[in-house]
Amino acid sequence: MGCDVVTVSTDTKFTHLAWREHEKELARVNYPMGSDPTGKTGRMFGVYDEGSGLTLRGTFIINPEGVLLGSEVNFYNLGRNIDEMMRKFKANIYLAKKTNEACPSKWKDDGDKTLVNPGAKMVGKVHEALNG
Amino acid sequence: MCECECNCIDSLKLGQRVPDFEFDTYEPAKGDFGTFSLVSQMEKKRWTILFFYPADFTFV
Repeated sequence: MGCDVVTVSTDTKFTHLAWREHEKELARVNYPMGSDPTGKTGRMFGVYDEGSGLTLRGTFIINPEGVLLGSEVNFYNLGRNIDEMMRKFKANIYLAKKTNEACPSKWKDDGDKTLVNPGAKMVGKVHEALNG
Repeated sequence: MCECECNCIDSLKLGQRVPDFEFDTYEPAKGDFGTFSLVSQMEKKRWTILFFYPADFTFV
């Protein structure tokens, strides 16, 4: 899909190696595991916690032009849903090609209904646009 | 910018061009260390999903 997932924590690359090679739950992990021990990148994205030296659960979608298009941050005790992450990623890819459309809340995948040319004529008529 | 005396920087906003950044990585696909950089992603015309999490060897 032309996308790279990269995980990041303040652990060193050595810890990443040890964890990946030890924990069987990670056996299918083949994406790069990034190391941000100084918190420099975490601070840039607003997820570095100065008190703990750890990064919050933040997911950021960046397009090939380097523009930030998606952001989700949860506190330590709430895991993110990977299906939702993929849904948002697919929607971003779709919308990058269809710049006159919008993906409504129920959009899940290519082929689902979108709002085409949202504008003055659609005001007050979103129901008709989605169900027509 | 905030007016406190910390050295905080404004964090990024949606729609903003992300400043270039890079960090060391462990790459399981190669079994070796590497580097990730935004500039390199842009040169390869690839989307990036950055997935921050608190710590290795924990549970969620």
